[in-house]
Amino acid sequence: MEYGTLRNYIGGAWVPSSSAEALEVHNPATGEVIARVPLSTPEEVHRAVAAAKEAFPEWRETPPAVRARYMFRLKALMEEHFEELARTVTTEHGKILDEARGEVRRAIENVEVAAGIPSLLMGYNAEDVASGIDEECVLQPLGVFCCVAPFNFPAMVPFWFLPYAVACGNTYIVKPSEVCPISQNRLFELLEAAEFPPGVVNLVNGSKGVVDALLSHPDVVGVSFVGSTPVGRYIYATAAAHGKRAQCQAGAKNALVVLPDAPLGPTVSAILTSAFGTAGQRCLAGALVLAVGEVYEPLKERLVEAASRLKVGNGLDETVQMGPVVSRKALERIHGYIEKGLEEGAVLLLDGRKVRVEGYPGGYFIGPTLFDRVRPEMTIAREEIFGPVLGLIPVADFEEALRIIEDLPYGNAASLFTSSGRYAREFKYRVRCGNIGINIGIAAPVATFPFAGMKRSFFGDLHGQGRDAIQFFTDRKVVITRWF
Amino acid sequence: MELNTFGAILGFAIEWEKRAAAFYEAGARNRPLSLFLELAQEARRRLRRLEQARQEGVAEMILEPIHGLDGEAYRLDFSPETEEAVLLQQARRLEETAARFYQDAASRMPIREVARLLQGLAQENVKRRERLDIGALTR
Repeated sequence: MEYGTLRNYIGGAWVPSSSAEALEVHNPATGEVIARVPLSTPEEVHRAVAAAKEAFPEWRETPPAVRARYMFRLKALMEEHFEELARTVTTEHGKILDEARGEVRRAIENVEVAAGIPSLLMGYNAEDVASGIDEECVLQPLGVFCCVAPFNFPAMVPFWFLPYAVACGNTYIVKPSEVCPISQNRLFELLEAAEFPPGVVNLVNGSKGVVDALLSHPDVVGVSFVGSTPVGRYIYATAAAHGKRAQCQAGAKNALVVLPDAPLGPTVSAILTSAFGTAGQRCLAGALVLAVGEVYEPLKERLVEAASRLKVGNGLDETVQMGPVVSRKALERIHGYIEKGLEEGAVLLLDGRKVRVEGYPGGYFIGPTLFDRVRPEMTIAREEIFGPVLGLIPVADFEEALRIIEDLPYGNAASLFTSSGRYAREFKYRVRCGNIGINIGIAAPVATFPFAGMKRSFFGDLHGQGRDAIQFFTDRKVVITRWF
Repeated sequence: MELNTFGAILGFAIEWEKRAAAFYEAGARNRPLSLFLELAQEARRRLRRLEQARQEGVAEMILEPIHGLDGEAYRLDFSPETEEAVLLQQARRLEETAARFYQDAASRMPIREVARLLQGLAQENVKRRERLDIGALTR
């Protein structure tokens, strides 16, 4: 095993878990076991919370400008180890190196934004709100926060939260994905090298037991989650029941609407990247193409041709354009959805199940899969597949496309491809999704913007990243002053 | 080798600059070829700029497939173990081929800042080629 048994990082020290239970971590390109991740115990969670709680008073008194310097050090370390981090992401997740580099880049961007904390944390004030009375609002940290991270962006997603939480003066605990925990463990080695005071950042490996221990712990004040809708709903409800703040990014079924006036070449490229990038395992992945009117036939033809040319293989090979999916379980689930699509009458134009990657018999590969004649009521049109499966739905007009999007249970992202400003405006105005793309296949907000979500794609009010993150990780305190 | 991704193009360019630097360094060994040493140093600097672009220029939103660029079209064997006249000829071909590669790569690169870098490197190669004509083997 390349990475051995992973350890927890608690109170500034790496400690092996006392748990006898562990899961294997696989390289999805080879199927080989590359690490073991312990399922840490509730006692270990309590120790991490205690360490974070103990570190909080001194950390919150540390001037924001000083806390920002830790961010600068962390950024420098992440830049220095950039390629290694990207390769680690590819090795444990399967996504291609370019995608892994993009992920690490976006993690760094969040550290860069959080380094602006001396400005971001400034409150506001007003003189003479009444005669001789002034009023001010200050932003204060709350204590111990935690995050429960998904497998699909194992390096980046905890960095939607951790840099902001810590820069605001809170202390933090990360529970990485048990499927892809290695990148986050490596990032914690960099956090250690950046010399954050003991207890400010902590990592506890594990699964549901760790999550439940965090959610029920009275000293944890808030949780950030990214994952599926059922788990997101559970975490939101459990956190609320325990009086905690929660922001839960959940599942998605993202539609890409193509109008007849869209330039087909770049549109097809963007759709391919959206649907098949990261082997479709993005919460922003395009899952349905709503082809309006006469664009349907030529778009279908171009999509089949372009998707069938994508090179599938080990993401560490720079010429590969799509890696494997994360696990055998995921592969089997995706196969199940393809079967379901066929049973319900969709027409399979491109069957990714036939893909074989030479030299990697144990890899969890599936090629780009394209269904035609999908109907909005079909299972494959409503449920999140989280794999490289794209459904093509011919629609009569723009209004029908909007109705289909409105009827979807999710509201994570939607994109429109057009040359018309009028339709673009209508789309962004009316569609109830948190992230809207206009001629963009992956509407991924950069670090200065919130990663939004609506309907069953998000539970909470404040999102990750940007100003929302600062609000989530602080309390507003209003001070009204009169001097006699 | 099809250069069909952002990383494949930059990886190819990085390898190219490594080979170019090694070629000029070896060519200058035991010969007082100051221009070759300059070109080698420049190649090392270009290499760092490319590595930086691969690290900082990657934009996940627009990692779209790239078509029509094949590394085989720029395959060039060069060896510094030869007489000076042949060496100079090889250096000229190296710069011409590099200029062609960077120009072609720039036109296909979807990320503008990186495209600008590749375009700039192509222009540098043209000038490097001219310098080889003017003061190639000045001692």
